[in-house]
Amino acid sequence: MMAVLLSSCTSGDSANGKVQIEFFQNKPEAKTTFDELIKTFNAEHDDIQVTQVNPPDAETVLKTRVVKNDIPDIMAMGATDTYSILAQSDIFTNLTDSSLLQTIDPNYIQMLKDLTGMDEVTGIPYATNANGIMYNKTLFKEMGLDVPKTWDELIATAQKIKDAGEIPFYFTYKDDWQTSLPFNALASNLVGIDFYQERRDNKVTFKEKYREVAEKQLELMKYGHGDNFGKAYSDGNRAFANGEAFMYIQGTWAISEIRKANPNIEIGFFPFPTGNDASKIKLVNGIDSLFTIAADTPNREQAETFIAFLLKPENIGRYIDEQTLFSAVEDVKQDDPAVQELMPYIEQGKVIDFPDHYIPAAVQLNSIVQSFLQNQNIDNYLDTLDKEWDKVANRR
Amino acid sequence: MNKRIAPYYWMTVPAVILFFVFMTLPALQGIYYSFTNYNGFGKEYDFVGFKNYFNLFQDDNVGNAYWFTFKFAIVVTILTNILSLLIALGLNAKIKFRNFFRGIYFLPNILSVLIVGYIFNYLFSNVFPIWGQNLGINALSTNILGSESLAWIGIVIVAVWQSVALNTILYLAGLQTIPTTLYEASNLDGAGKWREFWSITFPLIAPFFTINMVLAMKNSLMVFDQIVALTNGGPGRATQSISHLIYTGGFEGGEYAYQSANSVIYFIVIAVISILQIRFLQRREMDL
Repeated sequence: MMAVLLSSCTSGDSANGKVQIEFFQNKPEAKTTFDELIKTFNAEHDDIQVTQVNPPDAETVLKTRVVKNDIPDIMAMGATDTYSILAQSDIFTNLTDSSLLQTIDPNYIQMLKDLTGMDEVTGIPYATNANGIMYNKTLFKEMGLDVPKTWDELIATAQKIKDAGEIPFYFTYKDDWQTSLPFNALASNLVGIDFYQERRDNKVTFKEKYREVAEKQLELMKYGHGDNFGKAYSDGNRAFANGEAFMYIQGTWAISEIRKANPNIEIGFFPFPTGNDASKIKLVNGIDSLFTIAADTPNREQAETFIAFLLKPENIGRYIDEQTLFSAVEDVKQDDPAVQELMPYIEQGKVIDFPDHYIPAAVQLNSIVQSFLQNQNIDNYLDTLDKEWDKVANRR
Repeated sequence: MNKRIAPYYWMTVPAVILFFVFMTLPALQGIYYSFTNYNGFGKEYDFVGFKNYFNLFQDDNVGNAYWFTFKFAIVVTILTNILSLLIALGLNAKIKFRNFFRGIYFLPNILSVLIVGYIFNYLFSNVFPIWGQNLGINALSTNILGSESLAWIGIVIVAVWQSVALNTILYLAGLQTIPTTLYEASNLDGAGKWREFWSITFPLIAPFFTINMVLAMKNSLMVFDQIVALTNGGPGRATQSISHLIYTGGFEGGEYAYQSANSVIYFIVIAVISILQIRFLQRREMDL
């Protein structure tokens, strides 16, 4: 209801002789960066005026606007289930042959095709993020700890920290989406993404394949703090910034928030060591934002001009610097010291997409995982995943 | 047309039109969509008959949401009415700064539920646990909103804290309607305070009791904002109310038609409960 009210501000055409382009994006963290980029763009173009719209809970607002057929000219969002459903509803322009895709890393374009199951490309991957384990370099040095490369090393490191009376992991499981971070790392490496295609065809079940994922996620819970389900994401960023914990299972998107709380913190980041063969571990690396153009916008050309501007190396470079993300445009490098340990994985393509992007939103994975971590019943959990998946599939 | 009647039409006709356009029409649309497989956007959908309704009764998430909502609504209704009646009696007595206190007690009703929720959320996660630890009370030393079995109590506390304000005002208004001569007479007869309350005060504010029970019940059956601000339905689905389920499933989950069916059923349930409540409580009023 709130979302409907918020969405009632719409873009009109040419109040001052310029073509008005509405740029709708879903990342509150990126608002200021986009504002600056848009300012430069508007100054360079006499005939186009871009306006940014960034409401809270943007994905839901966007869906309600689509219902009203009030679709923004350009939409930026993550490559999630929402993008997938909207793409399948044909509300985006088909960009398969667009020149905008020329500089984009083909791996990410393939990722979009896998996600939607369509041959057309309707989104232009822009920035990507990674999910792994963040650690406090200063604390690691003080205790003489090495960065763990395998699952056994990870548990041994956590045990050592716990024995010293400190907090190994800062869990922020009051927010249910936080519980899906270890799920994503474990599921992608231990089971893989192909599982979801087979699950759609009813060839496998979670019960057969996901036991190890569940066991390992449960094992980690032994190394939290006293109130794992009482702290939320923002509490965790603050606590980690203040050095309360050694490690933080998190995405790269949190780095800028943590630095706001403590600009001097020395952050390191390593891929989640899900198994004991270090050479096989892949980094969970998904599309953080992509651009789409409304299928029925009369201003497609102007929208493409704006996207081409954002894709210029200097502009995307600035964006990924300020947001600590990675570029989907080839040959634009992220040099932030915090994420240098992740760069080899991205450069060598040892990456894998977020598994939860392949699970229909109606299944509500996050709350299922959160509930499992509370009652710790693995059989019940795997049954619930299968049951909810089937129920949603039956309702479609 | 009679000149005296005309103004009534001027007032009612626009109201009827507005009500129809903004309330009845969307409700009818919702009923229409509940027989389709529409996902909320997109252009294509099919009619599926009663499939959504059939699936609703198989879905234990729906059952779970009904169970939570009813448990919550009953507890909140009872607590709200007891507390607000007590506060109203206190505020109606001859105490110093009476008007000042009346204003203070009404404040929670003016504040936005969302803001109150976020403030309490902060208190539950960062302030109360520290008190609990210092006092050595184990149950209080973690955030109760993070526990599947206790989180609903946190929401009850916030909901009652806020809804007591409005009900107190209604009870106060009721208390003002009682003529003081009745109390003078009972005083002469030697009735005690307790006797006075059960024999005079409570029967005479019966209509206010009815409306307060119905309002509190209806409001807490539709609980939504508190849940968004405090737990977002979690942990797991432990505090997911029906309206929260309809919102998250319908808009975030892309199951618009399915949740439309849910809301049609829910509408019927609330209407039936309110009617039964009013009939039952009004009959009680007449007996007295």
